[in-house]
Amino acid sequence: MAKTKIQPNIKTETVPKLDTRWNVLVLNDPINYQQYVILAFMTVLRVDRTVAQKLMMAVHNDGRAIVWSGDREPAEMVALELQQWHLQAQLEKDA
Amino acid sequence: MPELRLSMTAEARNVLSDLLRLIAPAAARVSVNRAQIPNLDPEIATYWAETLSAQAGEEARLLATAFASAKGEPAIIVLRNKAQALAFLRALSAVRFALKDLVLSDIPNSQLEDLEDLDDESLPSEKRHALACYSCFGLLQSSLIDQIDNESFD
Repeated sequence: MAKTKIQPNIKTETVPKLDTRWNVLVLNDPINYQQYVILAFMTVLRVDRTVAQKLMMAVHNDGRAIVWSGDREPAEMVALELQQWHLQAQLEKDA
Repeated sequence: MPELRLSMTAEARNVLSDLLRLIAPAAARVSVNRAQIPNLDPEIATYWAETLSAQAGEEARLLATAFASAKGEPAIIVLRNKAQALAFLRALSAVRFALKDLVLSDIPNSQLEDLEDLDDESLPSEKRHALACYSCFGLLQSSLIDQIDNESFD
């Protein structure tokens, strides 16, 4: 009896590098008050007032600032939550 | 956190309520269109759009209910907890964005809060009306932020 040859069914897929970091950027806008933006950062990023104020000033002075960095999924959540505060948040892969 | 109160004249309440009725449907659309939805993954993009759209609907309802419930003179909006206060703050931000995008797009950013423009008769009356409402919504936001117990966020 001939032996049955079993062909392994191998599929390949590209998996992104696990150590890729993602940045959440916030752009300056003319509508939201500074105190509102500080409150948004404190609530979403869970940082204290001093850190939130520094981030807000960076956005205000430079027009944009990275407010959070990390893995892609949490970065997506942070960016979405900031957009729910009507801040202009964007997601970008870390260079 | 104790309940927070926003007080305004009955006339202001009526004017702002009328404007909200007009602008609320468009505000929801503006809110989703303006969002920077990433195109990394269609599923994520759909989730973001649905989340922001649902939130815009909730914000419109929250504002409509709050202003409708504020009766008397002065008219007082009562926000019973922190979550409600923060949601109200966000909703006011959405309305200000909608006003800027839909009615005040030709007004320079530096003049949006300039109350002298309210007396500028070269501006059409609907623009002056929108500017006044824009400022009023901002005043309500500032008042609310001042009242929130900042310590609870540290």
